[in-house]
Amino acid sequence: MRKLLLLALAMAPVLAFAQGFQVNLEGQKQIGMGHTGTGLAQDGAALFFNPGAVATESQNYVQAGISPLSFNSVFNPAGTSEQYHTASKWAPPFTFYGTWGPKGARWKVGMAVYTPFGGLTDWGTTWPGRFAAERLDLKAFYFQPTISIKITDWMSIGGGLVYNHGTVDLTRAIPIENGTGQSGQAELNGSGKGYGWNAGVYFTTQSGVTVGITHRSQVKTTINDGTATFAVPASLATSFPSPNQFSASIPLPATNSIGFGYRPCSKWLLALDVNIVEWDPFKTLSFDYKTNTGLLQDTHSPRNYHNTVGVRGGAQYMATNKLALRFGGGYAEAAAPNGYVTPEVPDADRAYLTAGIGYKLAQHLDIDLSFEYEHLLQRTQTNFETQLSGTFKSEVYIPGISLAYHW
Amino acid sequence: MKHFKHYLYIIAGLVWLSACKPSIDTPKPSKGSADFTRYIAVGNSLTAGFADGGLYRAGQMVSYPSIMAKQMQSVGGGVFNQPLFDAGQANGSGYLQLTGFNADGTPITTPVTTNLAIRGIQAIPGFGNVTLYAKYTGDIENYGVPGIKLLHVSYAPYGNLNGFYERLLPGAEGTNTTTYLDFVTAKQFTFFSNWLGNNDALGYATSGGAGDVLTDKATFAGLYNLVIGRLTATGAKGVVGTIPDVTSIPYFNTITVGAVLGAVKKANPQVQALYINALVSGTTYAPRPATAKDLIVLTFPTNKIGLPISTPYGNLPYGLTPYTPIDNQFVLDANEVALAQDYVQSYNAAIKSIAASKGLAVFDAYTFLNNVKEHGLLESGISLNSNYISGGIFSLDGVHLTPRGYAIVANEFIKAINAKYGSSIPLTDVSEYSGVKFP
Repeated sequence: MRKLLLLALAMAPVLAFAQGFQVNLEGQKQIGMGHTGTGLAQDGAALFFNPGAVATESQNYVQAGISPLSFNSVFNPAGTSEQYHTASKWAPPFTFYGTWGPKGARWKVGMAVYTPFGGLTDWGTTWPGRFAAERLDLKAFYFQPTISIKITDWMSIGGGLVYNHGTVDLTRAIPIENGTGQSGQAELNGSGKGYGWNAGVYFTTQSGVTVGITHRSQVKTTINDGTATFAVPASLATSFPSPNQFSASIPLPATNSIGFGYRPCSKWLLALDVNIVEWDPFKTLSFDYKTNTGLLQDTHSPRNYHNTVGVRGGAQYMATNKLALRFGGGYAEAAAPNGYVTPEVPDADRAYLTAGIGYKLAQHLDIDLSFEYEHLLQRTQTNFETQLSGTFKSEVYIPGISLAYHW
Repeated sequence: MKHFKHYLYIIAGLVWLSACKPSIDTPKPSKGSADFTRYIAVGNSLTAGFADGGLYRAGQMVSYPSIMAKQMQSVGGGVFNQPLFDAGQANGSGYLQLTGFNADGTPITTPVTTNLAIRGIQAIPGFGNVTLYAKYTGDIENYGVPGIKLLHVSYAPYGNLNGFYERLLPGAEGTNTTTYLDFVTAKQFTFFSNWLGNNDALGYATSGGAGDVLTDKATFAGLYNLVIGRLTATGAKGVVGTIPDVTSIPYFNTITVGAVLGAVKKANPQVQALYINALVSGTTYAPRPATAKDLIVLTFPTNKIGLPISTPYGNLPYGLTPYTPIDNQFVLDANEVALAQDYVQSYNAAIKSIAASKGLAVFDAYTFLNNVKEHGLLESGISLNSNYISGGIFSLDGVHLTPRGYAIVANEFIKAINAKYGSSIPLTDVSEYSGVKFP
């Protein structure tokens, strides 16, 4: 009878990640130039941008960078003039690259550690969408050992294996109130892993144009023994076993890129990249609870993401032989179709502008600073699954710094 | 390196930029062609904020008119006074609390009996006992009176028969002669909501068709015309609500014939049917086996089933033989359902045509609640439906709403107003209001 009475309370947990969580912050020099680099061989970050280009670099690199990211969203519920903001929080995407090969050899090996996906959104516990999402902290750490080989003077190839260590921590409110009218809380916390690869080919043409083509594979990341914690009124505690375990998996998408580089004169470097991100496989986000009850069922949230195209361009100008000035920008489509936008990462078409400077601190040491401003277009949505209805708008600010030692 | 410092400043400036928060331009709320300076709410228990079987301060605070009035403030709405019970007597008439679940999962509700606002009990000759509540003497904009029917609005002695109305009137108990309609229209107003009429059908239905009668259709239409005529007499605009189908509420859908019979069969497999005393036609009742179309009321004490009842044929189990049918008051049988539904549809036809003739906004609660019963309702990640307790909309009495339910109703009224008068009263945030409170 309790089941009969309460079945419909079913906390259809829409606990969900969303797109928007591809983080394109993989090297300060490249960010400065609109995050281009598929068709360039700039530094150790080529391990990420195009493993095929690494072997063409004359020097070995050890470099590390960080791009603190502040994702600021606002939500205006439909039919109101209220505005709800995410808390100001800084997510810390970082990169580490090391490449090595004997002087003059046709090959190099390398190790890359980077964070290509992540999200940090905190709407707080009092906003109208709290039954859809309160907070998401998602991180993916990719470890990529790589080898790159120059086949001929005009072509080199490279590839690496990717191991992903992902963590997720997300909370949302459960619409079951206790005696004082307080809603319940759910928190899902866990870590998982996935495997993939990254390969590229890099051409140096006679015209001076460099071309890169890469494929970074899908990394299906699976969380097996995540911890699900529920805070609900005591009389329903048995219906929400806590702590409970959950498993979930998410296909971090594959990315295909083609990029071009060109030096019209010695002081200028121009770059252009086009990306296709294969979000299509992200159809459903499921959470499988180890212990199910009448109220706590496994959930299957439709996502129906579609592939997206992004275009980026950038330029670098050597103001002096020690100082490089960079700028660029790009545009990327939203992966979440209408009706599937969720507040964890309110996906939308986005445009961004970047700027950067590089300075040669010493003969073997570069410092690079970058700044990116990303504007997500205003998007008015009613989510099919939650009926959360309103307008999202987001701005992202990303300063960054890196040091590269090369020899 | 000197330059480098400058660039650092630029970067620092850009970092500072990230303190900027995005914002969305929203149109300024407008009152459209309506004037919300003094909004009054006319209605019954639903309008008063009645919930969990009682009228109490916390429920009054989240009545749908008070939510609407709050939202109207951004479009020129004025103060909205409600006849609240004092904080010291916050539990008003008393109400039900959910205090736990039995081993079989059925809910345990317990009446709250402290801090009541009960003044006394008065015997009214020819009527019966009337519970009196602490008087309210301040200004009133929410005129919701629990229990009132449309039938009562022009009945002068009504102030002596309903303690919730009596407490609003200045006169001593037993001496009141102000009709409800005169009372609510005494002071100038610019906008009104009117959701009267529910009890004209509900009183009959909740008593299983045994304790009350349906208000005559023509009488209903005539009185509705009278009420709307008076409310619009000085040019006020307003919104009215239709009467929900009585079968759309959990009061009639929680204890079902199938569930009760199933439980009986578990213990006693040879039992074939529950017997009820059902309406044949007119006022003729006869026992017959119950079907899924017969609705058992929420307050039916299921443990009565099977108890031995003394009959001319010896002791027979209650509810299980044609000689010992379930009492009429516990069942709204199929014919009674049809009768109530027919009356409600007639009432609603009158409401809609009278509202249309005066150019009033209409919240079609009949259609809305039928849709909720049929399909449920999703609001910002909250899954709601018409089920008892778990549904989140209906309070513990199975008839009245939870704060969340009232917030949803307030939004539906606001949508109707905005659509009719071209206003843009902002909607309220439903998630701020709670459903049933669990221990």
